[in-house]
Amino acid sequence: MVDLTFSREQNEFRDEVRTWLAENAPTRTRPHDYAEIREYDLSWQRTQYAGGWAGISWPVEFGGKGLSVIEQMIWYEEYGRAGLPGMDATFVGLNHAGPTLMSRASDEQKSKHLPPILRGEVIWCQGFSEPGSGSDLASLSTRAIIDGDDLVVNGQKIWTSFAHLADWQELLVRTDRTGGKHHGISWVICDIHSPGIEVRAIKTMDGEAEFAEVFYDDVRIPLANVVGELNQGWGVAMSTLAFERGTAFTASQVRLASLVEELVEIARTRTGPDGKRAAIADDEVARRLGMARAEVAALRAMTYVGISRSEKTGTPGSEGSIVKLYYTELHKQVAQLAMDLLGSDGLRFVSRWMNNGWTGEYLASFSLSIGGGTSEIQRNIIGERVLGLPR
Amino acid sequence: MDLLPSDEELSIAQTVAELLHRELPRELLRERQNEQTSISAEAWSICAESGLLALGLAEGSGGVGFGLVEEALAFREIGRELAPGPFLSSVIGARLAAEAGDTELVRAIVSGDRQVGLILPRAGATFDGSVVTGEVELVDATGSDLLLLLRPDVSALFDRASFASALPWQSIDPGVRLEVATAVGVEPVLAVVDSAELWARAVVLSSAILTGISEACRDASTTHAKTREQFGRPIGVNQAIKHRCADMAMYSEAASAQLLYAAAAGDAESADFGYQASIARVVASRAAISNAEANIQVHGGMGYTYEHDAHLYVKRARVWANLIGSRTFHLSAVIDEIRVAA
Repeated sequence: MVDLTFSREQNEFRDEVRTWLAENAPTRTRPHDYAEIREYDLSWQRTQYAGGWAGISWPVEFGGKGLSVIEQMIWYEEYGRAGLPGMDATFVGLNHAGPTLMSRASDEQKSKHLPPILRGEVIWCQGFSEPGSGSDLASLSTRAIIDGDDLVVNGQKIWTSFAHLADWQELLVRTDRTGGKHHGISWVICDIHSPGIEVRAIKTMDGEAEFAEVFYDDVRIPLANVVGELNQGWGVAMSTLAFERGTAFTASQVRLASLVEELVEIARTRTGPDGKRAAIADDEVARRLGMARAEVAALRAMTYVGISRSEKTGTPGSEGSIVKLYYTELHKQVAQLAMDLLGSDGLRFVSRWMNNGWTGEYLASFSLSIGGGTSEIQRNIIGERVLGLPR
Repeated sequence: MDLLPSDEELSIAQTVAELLHRELPRELLRERQNEQTSISAEAWSICAESGLLALGLAEGSGGVGFGLVEEALAFREIGRELAPGPFLSSVIGARLAAEAGDTELVRAIVSGDRQVGLILPRAGATFDGSVVTGEVELVDATGSDLLLLLRPDVSALFDRASFASALPWQSIDPGVRLEVATAVGVEPVLAVVDSAELWARAVVLSSAILTGISEACRDASTTHAKTREQFGRPIGVNQAIKHRCADMAMYSEAASAQLLYAAAAGDAESADFGYQASIARVVASRAAISNAEANIQVHGGMGYTYEHDAHLYVKRARVWANLIGSRTFHLSAVIDEIRVAA
């Protein structure tokens, strides 16, 4: 039944989260150096684990709190509201690899890999995209040949966030080339420090080097590290992507909402286009800010619908693609609005990790509608899986 | 917290959809376009007997006792089915009468005996709470005994007879009757002050109509994209069409989610009900107009004909985007929160 109110327990949970975050959140600014980022993000995850806040919607048997996605969302809402740094380096472990292992891995794989993720001991990265396989992910050609008890991997991955900080990688390899392209892919747990792996950072247009290329030269991975059946990795990978479109976006959305409010504040204090009054007095500025506010509100409503659906059916469903498309396009518009509002002040580069890092925010925003499935791919998914249009 | 309608809530909407589909089939819009009223007295009675005009009214006031959520889901079907008739103004009119304590009038409206049309004041027209003066438009008031003038600060019901000199004006929409009248110090029969809640409910219900229109267009385009073949394949295989449909789905999803959020905010008596309602209208207007316009393009030449339904959605979307406050008005409500705080 449609109802906006949270239960008494959920409200108490929210209060606890808020209090705990206020008392335990890191006070030091997130560092810029990647080696330090690793330590910073892991140490913050360890603090959360020690406080009993790691894996809120993870089952108790894997070390989680065993609560529902609504509590998980409340956590992310409060996390975003507190203006805390994104959990970037720990994201893949907590939101991709972890949930995939939970649903598809063997008991042995689960008990070995899940607890260290929650305890803040390891960083996971993804190994899906390849230079020749971006939107057409299933065409991937990094090869793995069975040799004794091992897979021997040769090939290249790209757009791997934090590969240079990671310990483990969720790796998609081609183990059979005889069937259709969705058949013959395997989902493998890869130790990123294995001999034969080389990681090269990619500098992106915002000056950062979060992404990397990963090269594999006769890399041996035990067959025991295959998750699910050999050659059935495509289905395993797709379950990961559905998780990505679940609650994990909530913190980004709350952060976007606060960016809009920061822009409102800037528009109130800065002189507007007429050179006399505050920018907010300008109708065009006010209209765009008002629209951004309305869209952010609608985005929250869409997220609530998605979470209600997850709660009932256990999956956010393909409708998650609608939220992803809406969020990324909106975030880009907000970044564009910020640049228009700043005028020539936007010419001074400030990283998005710093205060008033609008220029960095703008440059980084281009990645949003590309990563995690481009907006065009999202529209295909919406067209084909939500609306049922022919391929 | 739950923003997914339950089976029970959806079944109410389903019942309404079936009723409207049966009693007010789409062809009727064209067949009746030269009749004085857009809906026959018989069809109005049948809809009233089903309880459609009393869904959100408390049982103590002679209503069914559902919340704004159920009422909004029902009005989404009114939009989807392009149902003609002064449903929104009658439902809100009955509520106004209930607030004023006129139980006899409530009964007369919800039973279908008395219809309530809508007054749309034109620029320069004034209403100080006691008299209305200036040029006004009357919307779907040709079969009405009463007229509703709705504003957040003060709202009122007028006797239709006080606007006897009203002249019919051809409307953009064959399913909506329009008249133009000049009022000189016309007094209401009933007025309530501080009608912000009444206003916000009407904003939500109009958003529901617009959301229903947007969904109908999304579905019509999707169906056409699946069945219409060119170059030997359904046109929906082309991304130019597929992505247009995906954008329609996105606009509808935003409108529908925010509609439920605003309606639930109303039922929860949240302090930000009016604000959430205005946001619902902003996104629902965009969804309805954008989807209805895109729907014509997806249907190609067929969509440009009078025979096809596509134009009816564009016209109804344009009507509702201008009643109970325009899109600019509601966007201003969002902006003013920004400006007022400054």
